[in-house]
Amino acid sequence: MWLIFFVATASAQKVLRWGADPSGGAPYVFTDPANPDQYIGYEKEMVDALAQAMGRRAEFVPSDWQTLVSALQRNSFDVIVNGLEPTGDRAQQILFSKPYYIFQLQLTVRRDDNRINSIDDCKNRIVGTLGNTAASRLLEQQGIPLRNYEDPVGAYRDLELKRIDAVVMDVPAEAFYARSNSRLRPAGPPFTRGLYVIGLRKGDLALKAEVDAAIDKIIFDGTLETILKKWGLWNDAQVEFQAPIRAGTQSTKVEEYTSTTTTFNWREALWRLTRAATVTVLIALGSMVIAVVLGLPLAVGQWKGPAWVRAFCTLYVEFFRGTPVLVQLLFLYFGLPVIGIAMPGWLTALVGLGLNYAAYESQVYRASLEAIPNGQWEAAYSLGMSPVLAFRRIIMPQAFRIALPPMTNDFVSLFKDTSVAFAISVWELATAYRELANASGQFLLLGLAVSAFYLAMSLPMAHLARRLERRMSNRATERLEEAPV
Amino acid sequence: MIRVIDLRKRFGDNEILKGISFEMRPQTVLGVIGASGSGKSTLLRCLNGLETIDGGTIECDGVRLEAGLSTAEYRRRVKELRLKVGTVFQHFYLFPHLSVVGNIIEAPVHVLRSAKKKAETEAFELLESVGMKQAARRYPGSLSGGEQQRVAIARALAMHPALLLLDEPTSALDPRRINSLRALLRTFVDRGHTMIIISHSMGFLGGVSDNILFMEGGVAVEYGPTDEVLNSPQDPRTKDFLKQAE
Repeated sequence: MWLIFFVATASAQKVLRWGADPSGGAPYVFTDPANPDQYIGYEKEMVDALAQAMGRRAEFVPSDWQTLVSALQRNSFDVIVNGLEPTGDRAQQILFSKPYYIFQLQLTVRRDDNRINSIDDCKNRIVGTLGNTAASRLLEQQGIPLRNYEDPVGAYRDLELKRIDAVVMDVPAEAFYARSNSRLRPAGPPFTRGLYVIGLRKGDLALKAEVDAAIDKIIFDGTLETILKKWGLWNDAQVEFQAPIRAGTQSTKVEEYTSTTTTFNWREALWRLTRAATVTVLIALGSMVIAVVLGLPLAVGQWKGPAWVRAFCTLYVEFFRGTPVLVQLLFLYFGLPVIGIAMPGWLTALVGLGLNYAAYESQVYRASLEAIPNGQWEAAYSLGMSPVLAFRRIIMPQAFRIALPPMTNDFVSLFKDTSVAFAISVWELATAYRELANASGQFLLLGLAVSAFYLAMSLPMAHLARRLERRMSNRATERLEEAPV
Repeated sequence: MIRVIDLRKRFGDNEILKGISFEMRPQTVLGVIGASGSGKSTLLRCLNGLETIDGGTIECDGVRLEAGLSTAEYRRRVKELRLKVGTVFQHFYLFPHLSVVGNIIEAPVHVLRSAKKKAETEAFELLESVGMKQAARRYPGSLSGGEQQRVAIARALAMHPALLLLDEPTSALDPRRINSLRALLRTFVDRGHTMIIISHSMGFLGGVSDNILFMEGGVAVEYGPTDEVLNSPQDPRTKDFLKQAE
């Protein structure tokens, strides 16, 4: 049995496993809308051609853009082919092949926005782009406030919704996602030139030689030109770039092209983490306020309200408890704009988490309120108190004591749940960790730093709650001999 | 003057009070006796407005609650009635999150809108009279059952009720404390208070109440001066009950 397996694998064609992010990845590699279990794209076709030239069979490993480099290092696949730019910090972690494409950047704005006509007009505007790309580094270098997105779709949608003022994107993506959108327009001509290369593991020199030769081959025999023409990506830059190779000379003069480099700066990284922590704290505190306040009417409604109020409250609670908070945030962020409510990302996270946790708090309150013996109500009534007064002065303070430990618990977990906000491009701690660590490869050290930030926020809160609990329970069990006489 | 006329209460098809009537003069004590399920507790809960009455009338110090009023009017009268009637529950139901003095001034300050200082001065006087002044700043959780009861009495009296209801006040007390409770209640009667006390202890009622009401099956079977009812009952059902209670 083992023998058969061994023979079968040995005789099979060698495989070229390549990693890329297919979500919002057009026209590089993306899910075929007409045939959703297949991937298409110009890089997909290019890798197929490369593999053929190498005598291998291409195997696509769908991955995530932000973690492509670490996934390569973990041996999840053999090469990265995803419009990868040869940046200085990546050069420290991985090996690059020869370039295969010259990209340019394109600035896009809303059609009716006349304020911005070049990147120089963006000094005080928020510009969206993909995280950890040449474009994002260029913006950072020029000191332009930027927002990083996971995919072009989200960036262009937020531009339309006026959450940001402009988008800078590599021309292939811009051509595919923005040019046909009548509400957007390109601002100025394409600018800067950069290279796309294939990423390989450090030390994988044999494979690099194979890949480089295959790139030369598909350029030389016109295969790449055919593919690029088919996808509308053939332009003067490519003609210029391919001419020497096709003439037989090997020099590609790659030095002429911009290769944006940023070396990792710990001071800056910590500063950015601090800013991200501030965002995290503000979101957590804001959503706590919503949850604590909104939880009460929900609890009382579900507990003592008339039938329709009870039904509504139950529906609310079951909806928010029964669906993932991530889905709720995506709905609020991308779904609500359809009916004209377009909140910025941080506000969406704040409101979304607040609404979500209100459901949990209402259940904590309800359980606590129901735990107060009926006799407390009757004693209050028999002293002439109205239901509202009895609730406010007698029932609620006692219920609060019961509710405090589970509430603390919820709020520590709310602090951590703010990390789902990365899905809607809010620059909070988890997002910061992912981006900084991916840019630098410092997963361990940055991970420790980020954990320290989270603990610095949640530990004082747990401590405060414990003190409050102790103070309240001391009162109740205060012993006779300690009592002042 | 406290007057109850043809008071009726039912839960579903089960009529618990089948037309109770009695009158009592101010500054007297009425003891209510009867087996469990005879309707004593329900009577008490009707008198302080915790149960809605289905028939009859309750009159207490000028407030007249009767069945058949509009909901709003009924609620208004219940509110008035509760200001006239104070209750000491069998299990006291002190507010555990408030100190002893906090328990006592809570309703005067928030319901009667008395000044806090004045309410506290009065609370200390009341605590003095129930012998609990030294515990004023303690919390109910650290008090014994007897101590809690005294605080509960002080809490009810702080509202200056025209009628004080006590539900099974002897159930948590040992014989020595029963005697001192009896003495305490008598001093309050001498100061002008009027009380209705439910109890299973004939000895206790014999020493504290002026009149006795015997209930059975939701009916007031016998009503009269304590001495007569306890020592020479007229109704065979009363005789039977007292024989078993001995």
